[in-house]
Amino acid sequence: MFEWIRLILGLVLLAISLFIFASEIIGIFKMKYVLNRMHAAAMGDTLGLLCALLGLMFISGLNFTTLKMVLVLVFLWITSPVSGHLISRMETYTNDSLTHYLKKEELGELYVKEALYDANESSGGSEAENDKSEEDEK
Amino acid sequence: MINNQVTQTAFPIILCILAVFLFCCLIRAIRGPKIADRLMSVNMMGTIVMVMICILALYLNEGYLVDVALVYAMISFLAVVLITKLYMGIYAERKKEEEMMKEDLFMQDYMERSEFSDITDDTEE
Repeated sequence: MFEWIRLILGLVLLAISLFIFASEIIGIFKMKYVLNRMHAAAMGDTLGLLCALLGLMFISGLNFTTLKMVLVLVFLWITSPVSGHLISRMETYTNDSLTHYLKKEELGELYVKEALYDANESSGGSEAENDKSEEDEK
Repeated sequence: MINNQVTQTAFPIILCILAVFLFCCLIRAIRGPKIADRLMSVNMMGTIVMVMICILALYLNEGYLVDVALVYAMISFLAVVLITKLYMGIYAERKKEEEMMKEDLFMQDYMERSEFSDITDDTEE
């Protein structure tokens, strides 16, 4: 009896995760700008992984495989937002025509030291570059 | 792990639907006009593949396939970190070269103009 409840719960959670992945893919095709698509991808990935792995954990029962799936989930929750942030930062740094549709606000004297290339390393210190910190949508 | 009839028929259907999603992400990777588009869709493909590997681990009753998913997650994270840092470095270098070239052109222009003004001053007087 409990086995049936576990199985049905697991399959329902897997179906929910399929719906979340589908909406994520619709999101990356419908949005017009890169940063919006990045937002859809990061949100959908995190929630879809939670529902899918939770469903699989229910189906599998109390097992060693379940513990490994918990490890995969924890690792992905820690690293996936970091990679999303890195991609967005690369996009705002390299896009020249970003001011056409975004209003940029610079936070006063916020200088971020980024050692992105070894241009002036011989002269004793990395260059300080102004980071485009805060952006609002028009 | 259950060898139930329900799971043995439901898992291939879910795997096929996830494969269609994988193909859609690939379309985004090919079409995307910017580099961030392509990098983001490759990241998404890695996540979907990870879910497929975990489903396969229960479908085939082999528990050690989840380790493969863990290693794949680590490698894809490393790839994203490397490519973003590399591309930002390349972009900064290219911008610096452009600025240096602009300065060169500015200096040449200034030198030419000063010579020209000297000549005109002499002839008028």
